[in-house]
Amino acid sequence: MPSLRQLSITGCVILLAFSARAQNYQGKELVKASLVADTPAVVPGKSFNVGLLLRMAPGWHTYWKYSGDAGLPTEIKWNLPPGWKVGEIQWPIPLKTIDPGDILTYGYQDEVLLIQEITPPAKIDDSSIKLSAQADWLVCEKICIPGSATLSLELPKSTVAEAKNTDIFARYQRLLPKRFPDSNAAAANWSRTGSDLQLKVTSDQLANYQTIDFFPLPQGNTVVGHPAVESRDGSGITFKVPVESSDKDLSSMPGVLVFSSSPNSNDRTGWELGAPTIAAHDDLQLPKPARGLFGFLLFGFIGGFILNLMPCVLPVISLKIFGFIQHAGKDRRAIFRNGLAFISGIFVWFVGLALLLIALKAAGHQITWASQFTNPYFVLALSVVVLVFALDLFGVFEITLPQSLMHRMLQSSTREGEAGSFFQGLFATALATPCTAPFLGTAIGFAFTQSSSIIVLMFAAVAAGMSAPYFLLSAQPAWMRFLPRPGPWMVHVKQFMGFLLLATLLFLIYVLGAQRGLEGAIWASCFLLVIALGCWMKGAFIIPAASRAKRSVTILLMLLLLLGSTAYFIGDKFQGSKMELAQGTSGGDWQPFTLERLKSERDAGHAVFVDFTAAWCLTCKFNEKAVLENSEVREAFERHAVVKLKADWTNGDPVITKLLQQFGRPGVPLYVLYPGRSQEPIVFPELLTKNILLDKLETISVASR
Amino acid sequence: MKTKLLLTAVTTLAAGALYASDVPPVGSAAPDFSAPDANGKTETLAQYKGKYVVLEWFNPECPFVKKHYGSDNMQKLQAEYTGKGVVWLTIDSNAPGTEGNLNADQAKKVMDSWKTKQTALLLDPESAIAKAYGAKNTPNMVVISPEGKIVYEGAIDSKATPNPADIPSSTNYVKAALDEALAGKAISNAQTKPYGCSVKYNKSS
Repeated sequence: MPSLRQLSITGCVILLAFSARAQNYQGKELVKASLVADTPAVVPGKSFNVGLLLRMAPGWHTYWKYSGDAGLPTEIKWNLPPGWKVGEIQWPIPLKTIDPGDILTYGYQDEVLLIQEITPPAKIDDSSIKLSAQADWLVCEKICIPGSATLSLELPKSTVAEAKNTDIFARYQRLLPKRFPDSNAAAANWSRTGSDLQLKVTSDQLANYQTIDFFPLPQGNTVVGHPAVESRDGSGITFKVPVESSDKDLSSMPGVLVFSSSPNSNDRTGWELGAPTIAAHDDLQLPKPARGLFGFLLFGFIGGFILNLMPCVLPVISLKIFGFIQHAGKDRRAIFRNGLAFISGIFVWFVGLALLLIALKAAGHQITWASQFTNPYFVLALSVVVLVFALDLFGVFEITLPQSLMHRMLQSSTREGEAGSFFQGLFATALATPCTAPFLGTAIGFAFTQSSSIIVLMFAAVAAGMSAPYFLLSAQPAWMRFLPRPGPWMVHVKQFMGFLLLATLLFLIYVLGAQRGLEGAIWASCFLLVIALGCWMKGAFIIPAASRAKRSVTILLMLLLLLGSTAYFIGDKFQGSKMELAQGTSGGDWQPFTLERLKSERDAGHAVFVDFTAAWCLTCKFNEKAVLENSEVREAFERHAVVKLKADWTNGDPVITKLLQQFGRPGVPLYVLYPGRSQEPIVFPELLTKNILLDKLETISVASR
Repeated sequence: MKTKLLLTAVTTLAAGALYASDVPPVGSAAPDFSAPDANGKTETLAQYKGKYVVLEWFNPECPFVKKHYGSDNMQKLQAEYTGKGVVWLTIDSNAPGTEGNLNADQAKKVMDSWKTKQTALLLDPESAIAKAYGAKNTPNMVVISPEGKIVYEGAIDSKATPNPADIPSSTNYVKAALDEALAGKAISNAQTKPYGCSVKYNKSS
């Protein structure tokens, strides 16, 4: 036993040998390390690839970036002249080895090339450049020996780019995992049961491979067990990925889906499964993407509750509370019935929305939360509703639909109130939809990847959350004593609320302007003016005191006005108003986003920040003003040479919709920082803060050093 | 006495078989075991009930183990905490014929030349203790409370490298766990990903 002979000489010798980082073990050279480039010369400003080539003695192996149950990944520390940049290591798909005791490791045998992209500055003074790096690795057979080498590569400066070492680079580039395919070609879904994660991948392409495996890339202190195939059919495969550490909130794990004709065969290819990292901040209780169904329902509930406080709902809520005050004098049962009617309005809206969503999803449409707001006709319709309600509050006319239609339907005057409450419930929630608060965003994002029944459940949870306060107040009207007593001031409050609604209307017109330009907004306003005129006519002339003939004429005139203005202002003018796209919103040093632009900037090794925004998104506007345009942030962007792209979703651009889905987000805002070419994008919370952004910006300079 | 020993051995094996592939989670009862130490004395976990016990998986051939012994880091920890009444059991679970497997004489030699300070070095050539605890690495560290519960498992410190120069700048999780436990506080980092060489199990296991 040579090992023991060594031992018995004394521990000191071993330790000395160890600290010298022996390359030789029992007279054998275990690893030959060298640097190779894919070019014979450096062209200033033009990126090229350099690889660390490790040749291992037979039977010995080095490790992947996740080494498995034992071992260590190889490290490369570059020493580059100032102004030079280096990308992340591009790790070829490793071999999976299982040793006695069920010890699983991921590594490389015989040979491996770890490629990194190097970007020289645009101006190079020297005629030849020396690139040096220190490589550290652990090489194991039955035992493990750490090794290290300081390597360098000298390349002349040139003006033309040529290729070199193409065979070896091609060999290892073939082994690099590819980006996960588009959502129409493949889908990956994560779920969690107890301590196990479940990964289900569906794609028609799976049928082409004998062996499919999942190589995990656990982050931080997460301890992962051995992924195993749970089931497989023609186009789907399910893996069980046990989580051994107590990361209760972990809902997915990055990794590589590996395909091959047999385990560890040389034809292996793979797809990267990235889990966007959420840049959470300690003092911000942000939703982690990881939660079981119950957790998501709870979030839906809380999100629904918080919707009551959103600026786009607040006016309506005040309106409803005002309604409660009005009813405070009546008996408790009537109040409770009113409350329930309001609540059913909320539920009907959300469940209806869920059903609509399921139907659209089934019809193959791309549909996302708040996408209603990308449709100008939806915004226009909402504007009309808001205006009519405002005029009602001003007293221009009274909404007395129940007198004719509803009266007959519902038969009693108390029920009129209930019908009103029901529609107010509907209306309040219709306005609430674009307010994807951080809570709701995660919950809805989760719901979108789920089955129909869960979507309904999810939306019902949001509805329950939103109705909770009304339920409590109407069931226990005693608590309404916290609300002020009725009196003449109510008329003033009512009128004041009308102004709040008008403010909401201004915002909606602004959205229309962003969607259809100034002209579109003007034509829409003309239409609204006619609607207002119609309301006034109704309030002034269609009164019980008026003669039947007078009322008929008024109704006829109103109809004419309405139809004529709809046909002229909307059907003709508004319809024809031109789309004004990103140019309007991407001012200053922000560039309009395109997928090609993002790809080319990333390929050039630039860090890219993408602001997914929309004209109708208040949170986006706030974040832009408070954070993105903050001088400190602007300066940091500049210092790290980050390319800033603005993705404008005002009109529901389908490319952006798809990208939002890939990040599991149902709508805007979304902020993503792509630090480097092969690094995982960093996703920021919807409520952006200066500190989070600055922190993350600092990390990119470290990564590229 | 003999029957009792046999009984313990059988239960240990049974436990080993039961836990073969699963790591008992932090907070669960620490599986009992019985094994001879380098001096031939039988050590069991049960006999140390009422005390904090540290389990340290060992392989004198492993560079990660050498990192902590060569720098005197492990010996200092052993001396400090055995001085505070903590029981420190170093375990060699490497199967016969694999690198790092020690017989009693070899174990005593390593202990002498490396000036180790543990309570005892247990010989576990059947890897029964390693299986019971799902230990896959050397060093792999486990801290057991006086009530017999696992309160920490994972790495010795925060820098997964074989380089002793990294020790001063890393956080020692075992030290942190023991300090907190001895002060009656909750352990803030109760589980980490262990790093190191693999435990050399027998081919048939």
